[in-house]
Amino acid sequence: MEGRPEEDSELFARAQRGDTAAYEEIVQRYQQVAFRTAYLITSSAAEAEDAAQDGFMKAYRALARFRAGADPRPWLLRIVANEARNRVRSSGRRHGLELRLADDFRPGDAAPSPEAAAVASEDRQRLLALVNALSEEDRLVVSSRYFLELSSEETAAALGIPEGTVKSRLSRALARLRTSMDEEASRA
Amino acid sequence: MPELEQELVALGRELAWPSTPAIATAVRSRITPRPGVLRAPWYQSRWALAAAALIIAVTALLAYNPTREAIADWVNVHVLFQRVNVLPTPSPQPPGPLGKRLGLGAQTTLAGAANDVTWHIEIPTSLGSPDEVYLELPPGGPALGEVTLVYSTRPGIPVAGETGVAVLITEARGGINDQFFGKMLGPGTNLEEVTVRGHHGYWVSGSPHQFVFIDASGTIKYETMRLATNTLILDDGGTVVRVEGNLTKARAIEIATSLG
Repeated sequence: MEGRPEEDSELFARAQRGDTAAYEEIVQRYQQVAFRTAYLITSSAAEAEDAAQDGFMKAYRALARFRAGADPRPWLLRIVANEARNRVRSSGRRHGLELRLADDFRPGDAAPSPEAAAVASEDRQRLLALVNALSEEDRLVVSSRYFLELSSEETAAALGIPEGTVKSRLSRALARLRTSMDEEASRA
Repeated sequence: MPELEQELVALGRELAWPSTPAIATAVRSRITPRPGVLRAPWYQSRWALAAAALIIAVTALLAYNPTREAIADWVNVHVLFQRVNVLPTPSPQPPGPLGKRLGLGAQTTLAGAANDVTWHIEIPTSLGSPDEVYLELPPGGPALGEVTLVYSTRPGIPVAGETGVAVLITEARGGINDQFFGKMLGPGTNLEEVTVRGHHGYWVSGSPHQFVFIDASGTIKYETMRLATNTLILDDGGTVVRVEGNLTKARAIEIATSLG
């Protein structure tokens, strides 16, 4: 019989009692989203790995302050993203992040014809180029909310800004993307 | 969800993210004690240091025949000669803030203390966040500083003496040696070896009043127990942790096990 995956709250309760295996399981669950959030902020896989690892260590030491029953994702993302921002600040380096499509991206799987697939591929490339061209502030909020599919609360926690600011920044960034898309369409 | 937002979500699922490293494994290895891995060579052991100190003292005695107190002054090993037959009575508490009354150093916060010391301060998850945090840096405190976590009241733990404190956890970088602090124990105080998460420690029951450890610079530090209650002393991977309070051995070990 297959066991039911343990609830986050159970894992946190065990981890708070000093069960390191439970905490490892928590990290396992959230390491991908935490690492990718740190990657968006640091623009470096190596820095993101260090930030995520140190962030999870800080979270471990702060486990006593985690409120039982609360959603751990915003809490963990806030700690890891803080660590990532501190690294960017202390290194003084700022890389431009160029997100790109996966090599195995095949729009043909969903497109009705090879022509439609080519158009879909071009559309995605064009949209990605427009996102990459946004200001860092706008790019971060768009990437966190849509690419990582974080909730507004999680995006706010990751970016260290109020949820209201997330909404206004998103609205502004989407408006800029629409304007850029319209300009491209009229040039074509 | 409007079309553009749907497009962005679809685009996000097609991105080339760097592969996620094995962070969970790395974190687990950082939080799990590995006894013995960083064992120092024999000549750096505390036994060797103690033996060297004793040889110096004996040599000086043979050469000059001064008083043993004078030798102790030269080599700073008072502890090797001191035996306690009558326990000192804790002096009445002076007025003022707790940190001053107990000589804990300057009051700070967990974040403040973490910024001011170079080592990891361990927090017992079973007790939660401390009510107060104190930091004593050198020269008053041991090399690399000493952090004290104060827990005023916790369910099931009686408050100790006049202090209004249930549990005190004191942490400093260094090591412990029963040959040293064992000699500081008076009649009616028992010393028992314990192991907590693979780390070596001692359960001192009765009314211990004095404590000796070797700090990060190799200096022998001689301190007074703050609460004069049962005490668990643990060498937790190079951090000497003292858990003081009116605790049973099981409760003290439970607290120490939850340190992280």
